[in-house]
Amino acid sequence: MWNKRLKLASALLAASLMGGALAGCTSGGNNGGGNTGSSDSGGSAGTGKTVTLKILHNWNGSSGGDVDMTPIAKAIEEKTGVKVEFDYTKGSEVEKVNTIFATQDLPDIYTGPAWGGELDGIIKAANEDQLVDISGKLANYPNLEKEIAKENMPPALYDKAEGAFGDKRYLLYQNQPATDKDAMDWLYGFYIRKDIAQKVGVDPQSVKTKDDLYSLLKKIKDAGLKENGLPVIPLGGFHSGWAVTIGNTMFYGADYADKGDGTLEHSFFTKAYEDYTLYYRKLISEGLLDPEAFTQTDPIANEKVQQGRIAILAAHYPAILDASKEYVKAHPGSDYVPIGPLERAGAEPNRPADLAIQGNNVTAITKACKNVDAALKLLDFLASDEGFKLVHYGIEGVHYDMVNGKPVAKKEFFDKFATDTTGKAKKNEGFGIGFESMTGQDRTNSLGGDIWADQDRIAAMENARKILRPNGIKVISAYNPGDVISKSPEWDSLKPSMDQISDVWQQAIFAKSDADALKILNALRDQMKKTGYDDAMKYVNDNLKGKEVVKLGLPN
Amino acid sequence: MTASLLWKRIWRHRLFYLFLLPGIVWFFIFSYVPLFGIQVAFRDFRFTGGFTGSPWAGLKYFRQFFDYYLAGDLIRNTLIISAMKLIVGFTMPIVLAILLNEVRSLKFKKTVQTLSYLPYFVSWVVVVTLMQRLLTPYGGPVNDFLVASGAVKDPIQFLNNTTWFYQIIVGSDVWKNIGWNSIIYMAAIAGIDQQLYEAAKIDGAGRFRQIWHVTLPGIRGISVILFILATGSLMSAGFEQLLLLNGPATAAIGSVLDVHVINSGISEGRLSYAAAVGLFQSVIALILILTVNRIARKVSDVSLF
Repeated sequence: MWNKRLKLASALLAASLMGGALAGCTSGGNNGGGNTGSSDSGGSAGTGKTVTLKILHNWNGSSGGDVDMTPIAKAIEEKTGVKVEFDYTKGSEVEKVNTIFATQDLPDIYTGPAWGGELDGIIKAANEDQLVDISGKLANYPNLEKEIAKENMPPALYDKAEGAFGDKRYLLYQNQPATDKDAMDWLYGFYIRKDIAQKVGVDPQSVKTKDDLYSLLKKIKDAGLKENGLPVIPLGGFHSGWAVTIGNTMFYGADYADKGDGTLEHSFFTKAYEDYTLYYRKLISEGLLDPEAFTQTDPIANEKVQQGRIAILAAHYPAILDASKEYVKAHPGSDYVPIGPLERAGAEPNRPADLAIQGNNVTAITKACKNVDAALKLLDFLASDEGFKLVHYGIEGVHYDMVNGKPVAKKEFFDKFATDTTGKAKKNEGFGIGFESMTGQDRTNSLGGDIWADQDRIAAMENARKILRPNGIKVISAYNPGDVISKSPEWDSLKPSMDQISDVWQQAIFAKSDADALKILNALRDQMKKTGYDDAMKYVNDNLKGKEVVKLGLPN
Repeated sequence: MTASLLWKRIWRHRLFYLFLLPGIVWFFIFSYVPLFGIQVAFRDFRFTGGFTGSPWAGLKYFRQFFDYYLAGDLIRNTLIISAMKLIVGFTMPIVLAILLNEVRSLKFKKTVQTLSYLPYFVSWVVVVTLMQRLLTPYGGPVNDFLVASGAVKDPIQFLNNTTWFYQIIVGSDVWKNIGWNSIIYMAAIAGIDQQLYEAAKIDGAGRFRQIWHVTLPGIRGISVILFILATGSLMSAGFEQLLLLNGPATAAIGSVLDVHVINSGISEGRLSYAAAVGLFQSVIALILILTVNRIARKVSDVSLF
């Protein structure tokens, strides 16, 4: 009897173990932007049946609210018949692009950054038949047609992301300014704590050259300042070195430079790049630049700022204002103020700031999309003025009122959002949860400005703008050789070497000597030449002959 | 035993053999099915073609790796770090097991054992964050102590520093794994016949002599087997730890194959290239295991197969 029971128990145990193992092998759920359909999927737009579409919002750190359905998402569903389920990216956007296509774990709609490796990945996907060609349907969706019209896109980017596919259209390019006044200047620069500038007796606006900046950092270091018993770091940045490298504009104008004979070469091969590297090497070796800046996470970086331990921050101004908000509140007079404006290599003193504003988002419908027409209907609505206003200002009469033809935020919501430091209150209404990325050309200023912006913040930004942009701004419309080189026949073999430039530069600035730093740069230069750099640059020079090329640019 | 007899015997004990099934299924799914994907290393991977439909590329990606100007550095760094981890990480658990075996207070022994196992269950992300907090020159407790005690004048940049890199890598690896890896040696020591110790005592052997002549020979077999297995990972220095602890300042000695594979595959989208480098690692690891196994069989009569 006992033997039988033992056998039965053993069999049950074995079966449960095996079942557990097999269960572990199956997909545990539907997380991610998979193309698993919901019960109401497959319906068509316009038939009155709600279609649920999954959108991958491939912006690292983006997130939704605490509620399943926000009022804005609900209004969009009522207007378009499309219910949106967002999947957000945590981590590298480039990795996410490569992963979703390699594993075929595709959302219905992809939306993400329109620069660097992210855009290259999505163009590769288009070339490999992973995206839906919308060229035949664009005529029915005028707002989408407008946002990718040749005259509404930077020319080089149009050639790369739209014209490169012949008559086919795969990508929707978004967030480029609709008018000059919609151009967004994030005010990248070096910012110093006002109280620290006073302590070391330096007027931030007197700092103009790289030598001035070095002297200022040295003065801060030599002053031996402490905050809560911890040393104050002269220069710091945010995650993974963002954006301490912006001092490069003091050494060279843009990623590609004129060799002097009218032909271009990558700035990495110039003497100016070596000077830029050695300057930063000096900052690191003398303890003026936070050596942890390139390896730290954002929480650690923010902690340093919030403890008042960074004297000068390099980044764009909104990030600095956000990170320092709490510390400034507790220590009035400790706000960060702009340094300079600093010299720019090769730029005339009265030249406006050349901003590389080229939009920042690209959207595509993947081949896994359950209902392409529904997706297009949704995207076309979001790109309309009505959609833009709904996403940015909310529901008229609920979140805002129109006063003298301009949207004005309802006090109740304005106060609610202003006092909520977590940002969840805003997200729970449907703001900032991903729809903004897909609203076509940026018309924030044309349609009424940012009605939710904090007035102090606007004043700080205006003040910084007056200092940093004495000659105004100019949006770059010239060709970027970086977009052209990626179409050269050598690109496949050259790209892996060119992708190393940033890593190699970081290694060089930590080198033990100047000679070692240059040796590190030269090793990569040799590798780039070995993998087809010369031929690729000949291709660039041939293709850009007679065209206006970006030779001066500021980060944006 | 003939095949039919073997099958009869298996059938007779079928319930016990059923327990093997989850393990077999696991190995089949996670270790044998992925072998199918190795062909990607010899193909130009295309999203549309997938594993089987992408065009053949021959040895293109292997050549690309050996043409890469840092390939030599990557292999060298991987071997140096792995060898250091192998030497220190292999011997330290044996030392800990022997020391614990000599402890007479059961309570103390259990406490030390538990404390030494715990780090094994902590993720590298947490370990590295802890290390960053402890070792930072900007107010980290380690530097505060060193400066306050007069041991150093200025705080030391432990991380992002080639001078301390190997010590940090090997030290943290030992700290994390020593307890877990010592379990098997503790078990082996527990299996040694106590009469051997008695006999050694009668012959006048002290504690050290007993360790030398009884304990160490008693765990020789298991040590050799574990050493052979450990040599298989000589070409992989530890992905998570190196990804998190290596930075631009230490890249010259800290860039290893594991991280290079992930970066080129996932970050740069060069899946075929990454598969080629990964396959290269695996082939070298297999050769190492076979070689060490053969040497071990000749030298000590102990081997895996």
